[in-house]
Amino acid sequence: MKNYDLIVVGAGPGGSTAALTAAGAGMKTLLLERSRYPGEKNASGFALSSKAWRDFPFIKDMELPSMRMGRQAVAHILSPPPELEERFCIASGPSRRMGYPEARDFFTVGMLRREFDQHLADKAVEAGAELRLTSLVNDLVWEKGRISGVCLEGGEEYRAPVIIGADGVMSATARLAGLREKWRPDEVVSVCAVDYSAPRERMDDVIHEAGFQAYFGPGIGGNYLISYADGVHLGGPGVTNSLISRLACTRIKPARELLETLAAPPTQRLLRAVEAVPREWQVHCLPWMDRMPTSIYTGGLMLVGDAAGLPEPLYAEGVWQAMYSGRLAAQVAREVAEDGDASAASLKRYLDRLEESPVGREFVGGVQLRQLFELLGDPRACGELTEAAVDLTVNMFMSAQEPKAECAARFFPIVAENLPVLMEVAKIYLPMLLGIGGEKLRGRIAVLKGLGAMLGQMAGAGAVSGGEVEP
Amino acid sequence: MSARNAKKRSGEAGKTGEVDRFALTEVIPASRDFIFLDKERCAGCGNCVAICPMDLWKLREGRAVLARDYKKKCTECGSCFIACEVGAIGFTYPPAGTGVVYKYA
Repeated sequence: MKNYDLIVVGAGPGGSTAALTAAGAGMKTLLLERSRYPGEKNASGFALSSKAWRDFPFIKDMELPSMRMGRQAVAHILSPPPELEERFCIASGPSRRMGYPEARDFFTVGMLRREFDQHLADKAVEAGAELRLTSLVNDLVWEKGRISGVCLEGGEEYRAPVIIGADGVMSATARLAGLREKWRPDEVVSVCAVDYSAPRERMDDVIHEAGFQAYFGPGIGGNYLISYADGVHLGGPGVTNSLISRLACTRIKPARELLETLAAPPTQRLLRAVEAVPREWQVHCLPWMDRMPTSIYTGGLMLVGDAAGLPEPLYAEGVWQAMYSGRLAAQVAREVAEDGDASAASLKRYLDRLEESPVGREFVGGVQLRQLFELLGDPRACGELTEAAVDLTVNMFMSAQEPKAECAARFFPIVAENLPVLMEVAKIYLPMLLGIGGEKLRGRIAVLKGLGAMLGQMAGAGAVSGGEVEP
Repeated sequence: MSARNAKKRSGEAGKTGEVDRFALTEVIPASRDFIFLDKERCAGCGNCVAICPMDLWKLREGRAVLARDYKKKCTECGSCFIACEVGAIGFTYPPAGTGVVYKYA
């Protein structure tokens, strides 16, 4: 038996950030990892968002061989199966309205988890943490009703007043601590991915900085493409379509759906253009909640990252959340070490601070964000929205076929014709905005309500003259 | 390349479309079981069969059956464990240093 100030279970981004924070503050820290090296078990198709550069000084100078800058995000909308041809495409760079310089510069940086997780674990070790690989925790040590240590499968026992559970979506520490047996089927997505190697020059020419791309379409999709310096990663189905409860209901095999999209002409053209060769098949589950989980601590234990169910409710982004919660948990661990009180009542401050933090704020409107994703996954709604977008774009900007001004005048009838589906989107967005609250927003909502009323009147007019506006 | 040629080319089966899941997955077989089925509890609903990305579950006589060689193929994603609504499937991580190996995740 050996004693530590803090034991961290799992050397992913959450665990390593917790360990480096604690060790950096002088705590005697043990970092346990079940794999042979950090990142060995993580199948994510990983792009780290600019938030991480805002929040973590220790990654400012990070240079990894697999890194590819993501200054453009692309959404490809495909026509319904079986055709799956490109129907609409939106590409976007960062917005100048974002609140910090990195966010105005780039969206994400794609990189391999093997390199990133290793980098963070190295930082933790540099800070003084003791990293033990191939160490699987299979029991917890209890003392006076509180968790006070861990047992490895080999029988070794380690003690610490506080444990941080950073052991992923199927967290053993959460189960052993009695915080939950497992997530519900409507709280977890099951995602498959194929990773391809591709020559760096081809990637530079074809992908350049379009680091994140997604394929949507009526009834399909949400498949995403993440680009690395010398490879691409295609994963899917997208979050709504891969909810385990939904897959159990629809009987769509996630693997089959991904392979279908991979075989579709637009993806095949892109894969051929970058001369992609498949190198690995990957599968992983992710927690995907519409509200921030609260059952994430108990006497002597805090959960971080996926173990706590923190991926945000739209794309299920989770690495930054893991790092943020990892650091916060380590800061709380240090405070309680000083007070000598690691009871559940004392550790509640971890949940309180997390809820108020940017991680917690990602869950504002979470219920609506999930609804939005479901709407986009619905064949009818997605089909109508896609056609409306195509109609507007072609008639407003891209009409080579007919006189430009006449095409542009179709804006109002197109909007009027599509009001029902646009209202479905508005019905989701308005409550989300109301959820944020504040005077400024109430003002904006008043404007939106006015616009809505105006559009409603126009819809009435459109319905009357519907037959006449079409040439 | 002309638009017509591009269309023609896109119709060809490309090598990139052929993905052999098993050939592209490296697994160090675990020395002990890590998925457990409680046959008495199994309701034969087939959720595990539907969800498994490696097709390691089958229904036989109204009960779930796990492939004998699952330790060589399972990616330990835990989908079957989550999908089972009657709690008939147990799952733990495989022993340290064994199981799936991802090099390009």
